[in-house]
Amino acid sequence: MVLAVLLAGLGLFTLIVRRELIFKLLALNVASGGASLFLVAMARRAGPGVPILGLEPPPAADPLPQALVLTAIVIHFATLALALVYVIFLTEHRHSQDVRRLEKEEE
Amino acid sequence: MSAALFGVAGYLALGVLGFLGRGWLTGALAWAVGAGALIIWAPGFSESALGPGPWGIRLIGDTVALGFWCLALVLHAAILWEERRRKGAFHPLLTLLVGTTLALVISRDLFNLYVCLELTSLLSFLLVGYEGRSASIWASLQYLILTTVGMILYLFGLGLVYGRLGTLALSEIGRLGDPVVSIGAGLLLSGAAVKGGVFLLGLWLPRAHGRAPHSVSAILSGLVVKMGIVALVRLGEAFSAGPVLVALGALTGFGGLLYALWEQDLKYFLAFSTMSQLGYVLLGFGLGAPLGGLLYALAHGLFKALLFLSAGKAIQEAGSRQIAELGGRLPWGPAMGLALGTWSIAGLPPLAGFVAKGLLCADLPPWGKWLVFALGVGTVASFSKLIPLLRPRGNGPSPTGEIPLFLALASFSFWGFFSYPLLFDPELWGQSGLCLGLGLIAFLLARRAHPRLPGLTLDRALLSLILASVGIVLGLLAL
Repeated sequence: MVLAVLLAGLGLFTLIVRRELIFKLLALNVASGGASLFLVAMARRAGPGVPILGLEPPPAADPLPQALVLTAIVIHFATLALALVYVIFLTEHRHSQDVRRLEKEEE
Repeated sequence: MSAALFGVAGYLALGVLGFLGRGWLTGALAWAVGAGALIIWAPGFSESALGPGPWGIRLIGDTVALGFWCLALVLHAAILWEERRRKGAFHPLLTLLVGTTLALVISRDLFNLYVCLELTSLLSFLLVGYEGRSASIWASLQYLILTTVGMILYLFGLGLVYGRLGTLALSEIGRLGDPVVSIGAGLLLSGAAVKGGVFLLGLWLPRAHGRAPHSVSAILSGLVVKMGIVALVRLGEAFSAGPVLVALGALTGFGGLLYALWEQDLKYFLAFSTMSQLGYVLLGFGLGAPLGGLLYALAHGLFKALLFLSAGKAIQEAGSRQIAELGGRLPWGPAMGLALGTWSIAGLPPLAGFVAKGLLCADLPPWGKWLVFALGVGTVASFSKLIPLLRPRGNGPSPTGEIPLFLALASFSFWGFFSYPLLFDPELWGQSGLCLGLGLIAFLLARRAHPRLPGLTLDRALLSLILASVGIVLGLLAL
């Protein structure tokens, strides 16, 4: 759980500090990985069982957050893919990934 | 409930089907399915679970859901008519977007809210960048980065709340006082506020709405930002965090106004004004006037969509986005749309803005009324810039997508006066007159000043997002 919070913090910090778009996206991905890890860690319960119905007797890990994490991972993947397409587009059309230069051209 | 679910499923299925071809036709069919479902479930349904046991997804068909279904269908009809010649993936994407908003407003479950919020964001990113101009792609990418950060905060909050309370249903949570739950609630509220374009948290809003294609701006400003606000309201209700909503409302109201007062680019100006108008909605819900807040959200959805559609046509006709260069160069269609929208947003009788503001003020405590009055004066002051634009010149394209919006505005106003006779109170009419007068004076004063407001760059937006969410968490801990 601590690791998850650390990961997210590191991701958000890098997101603000770095100027290149591609690093921003990597940082974003690390941070969302942190969020998913946090949910899984939350679901941990003492006990050896795996959360499959009829396979092992409870206590098992809580299956609900794990189902949620699967959905969240799919969504993060889709978002990241779209963001990468946009970054490729911007690099081709503006010849720059530097956020400040992109902002300046906007003015 | 099954009718509502059928409507949502029909919308989404037809949206997906539209990618195979004939996008407009499937969009129109989806609209018909949605309208039919709305008519069947319109009396509303109480909270019920989809699926077995404690894991069932909670759905509710309350007044909020009903109102937003109506708004979504009206706006979709307007855009369908406006963009009837557009081919390709535009209409399927739009249909999916409207379908997800329909699903979002009936859900009362933390994770279902998350999925719907993420889906609306993903579809809006695609629509903002639809025309493939690099400025709009850049705006869309900023929108994406900021929203994703917000949703990461939301997931952390979700984990904390679920870990402590063991449930995702909004009606079963709400134990502030426990610090872990308070932190979780703060993170959840911040995530929703980012999506809702609240000032300091959702600073993506002006760029994304300003750079999107015109009809997309209309639906984003009219409907999609409200989804963040709906999530915020539902969460605020569940955690009884009214004061936080009030604080956010005042912040976004006056913050957006500050930027709107001196903005010279027509579409950016309308986007900042959206940001400020959300303040009314949050104030209404936070101060215990949910009906007023809801009606204001609906009225704002109608007239802001009208303003964006007319502004888009005006910009196309005149070839400029600067307000100063547009004066006296507009054909009568866009000028009339802008005039009606401005009249409404200024809260002048007898249009929808007046109805909604009157009902909002009726339920507010006295200081809340003063806040709303001050916001109204600011709105008039910022919209006075548009007066030179309202002088039509020559002929141009006649209004198309605006017509459903005209009709909806008129029927909204008529319905308001018909059901609430308190709107004929001369004091209310006097107040709106006073608001107009003071606003014009404020406009003349503000024109002399030329403050340099800090530009909203991506890094600043990210930093202010994180600081503001820390603020929300601290506020909830103190509550």
